[in-house]
Amino acid sequence: MSNAVASHNVRSSLSLANATRLVQVAESLGVFVLLVIVVTTASILAPGFFTYTNLTNTLIAASITAVTGLGMTFAIAMGGFDLSVGSVQVLTAIVVASLISIVDPPLAILGAVLTGLAIGLLNGVLISKLRLPAFVVTFGMMSVIRGVALLVTQGQSVMITKHIEFGLLNNGKILGLPVPFFIMVIVFVILSILLKNTAFGRHACAIGGNRAAAIVSGVNIDRVTIAVFGLVGVTAAISGVMLASQLMIVDATLGTGFELQAITVSVLGGTSLSGGHGNLIGTVFAALLLATIASALNILKVISFYQYLAMGALLIFALAIDTARRAFIAKSLLSRS
Amino acid sequence: MESTETANHNIHRSRGMYLLGFLTKYYIQSLLLISVAILAAVNPYFRSMGNLQNILLQASFAGIGAAGMTLLIVSGAFDLSVAGLLGLCGVLISALLPLLGAFLTFFAAVSLGVLLGSLNGVVVTKLRIPAFIATLGMMNIYLALAFIWTGGSRVVSISDPGFNSLGTGALFGILPIPFLAMIATYLACYGILNRSVYGRCLRAVGSSEVAARTAGLPVDFIRILAFAIVGGCTALAGVFLGAELSSASAIMATGYELTVIAVVVIGGTSLNGGEGTLFGSFTGALFFAVISSALNILNVAAYWQYVATGAFLISALGVQALRSYIVVQ
Repeated sequence: MSNAVASHNVRSSLSLANATRLVQVAESLGVFVLLVIVVTTASILAPGFFTYTNLTNTLIAASITAVTGLGMTFAIAMGGFDLSVGSVQVLTAIVVASLISIVDPPLAILGAVLTGLAIGLLNGVLISKLRLPAFVVTFGMMSVIRGVALLVTQGQSVMITKHIEFGLLNNGKILGLPVPFFIMVIVFVILSILLKNTAFGRHACAIGGNRAAAIVSGVNIDRVTIAVFGLVGVTAAISGVMLASQLMIVDATLGTGFELQAITVSVLGGTSLSGGHGNLIGTVFAALLLATIASALNILKVISFYQYLAMGALLIFALAIDTARRAFIAKSLLSRS
Repeated sequence: MESTETANHNIHRSRGMYLLGFLTKYYIQSLLLISVAILAAVNPYFRSMGNLQNILLQASFAGIGAAGMTLLIVSGAFDLSVAGLLGLCGVLISALLPLLGAFLTFFAAVSLGVLLGSLNGVVVTKLRIPAFIATLGMMNIYLALAFIWTGGSRVVSISDPGFNSLGTGALFGILPIPFLAMIATYLACYGILNRSVYGRCLRAVGSSEVAARTAGLPVDFIRILAFAIVGGCTALAGVFLGAELSSASAIMATGYELTVIAVVVIGGTSLNGGEGTLFGSFTGALFFAVISSALNILNVAAYWQYVATGAFLISALGVQALRSYIVVQ
């Protein structure tokens, strides 16, 4: 009897795991299929879309968003968020642009990454040690860091004139592919290993999946939270460095709405806001999708305000899909138990 | 002898606790009084009539929005779209004013606010999307609509003597009309929150959504109504802001959501929902206006305002955490 119950439980939990995995695969596939459709449509409708130059530019734009999106996916998997990434991106872009006139590029990049790390760790400490809600802390930090960026630059723009080889980080090509793409791939590989194959990643997912259970199982919540927000800060800083090398002239008004993009690509890529798992490859596909849409709209000369509108609508759409998926999983859980 | 000593000790202790209790209960009010007293003592310009009037005026823009937001936060949700909503109402006012006249435009703008607020509520409750991320998306949509309407961040004019006097007029030449409207808004919201069945429903939904649902309350409808109130209050603030500036643009209220939420939180309303203090939000709005006026007078770069607003929000949350710790002790 008890055996039968046990085996039934095992079977139902197995089939639940299967259902969840199926949904996950369908989701990455869904975004991928959507990407193929959009790319095909854009190639037909927008002459000049399917050219080497434009595809390269689209890939660069997608890579910059994807890097922060990957960090955000980690935070969302942990059941957190970071609304300060846009401000961190612009501040670190300013840091690297300012430092490069004083020191060598590698040191300037290190300075920017450390700045991002410091802000991320501060976010993490405020959230975990003071037990404050993540989104309000990072919301406040968004304003603080934006203010600091404006103060540092005094509202002026910073131009990179020395060490212009820094631009290679953007224009450089390896095997015909732009360098930012490889940066994104490296970040993707590192975060994938961190998320799937280390205790740190599993702990982060455990906190997102069931916080109380994670505490009881002895996961050091505070330490993991601080580390994850530090990680998000670093990815935002890498995006900042990439942005600086793309534009070569930066000012404190850049990066507004970037946090929205990062969250959108995570959720659109199939990472549920309810936490517990992160779909990193989905995030990459979603970033490509977003960049493709933006590029096609640009070529079709749609004014940028409509892109704003598309962005907001896409986010709401992705979130609605996320809700439907959660309802589906809950339903299959009910019907199988 | 010994017992008297203990009694004395107890009295002493209870007095200390009383003072501590008073300060923790009215800390924002005390903070406001102290900062006003210090600033008025050291700076003659600060205590001038014009500056004090200006503080009341500035306080009312954030304060009117914060009144509605307090109700929504009590119900356990948020609205980050208010800056976009206010911008959209502002540019609409500019378009409608020549057609409808001051009186009807006023009602049209507030109705639009209520409508857009309800839309936020529907998106949050019916699509079951977490409020703050859904409203972040809605903010983009409202901003985009306002941009498209005005063809960019163009500034459109609002000029109608009757309408403009809403923003620039003052009762007895002392109390600005927006400030009177703010008082009226807070009285109305106080009535809703503390003296009506709906207010009790709001608090019930905010303390435990599951319990409220089980008890048979129409949770979604209650929330949608709260979002509608926020929309209405925000549009009202937009009316006065537009009337005062005699112009509007899509980005006229950038950062408004941050200020409004900071005002509510610094006033002592917990982000966990279930309870809230409108008196606190009222004081919080005044406190913010005082600080920003002080920063202006001290000639601090405008950029510091960003840093100050964000830092105030985070430290107010820290104070709340500390306060609940003291209460528990």
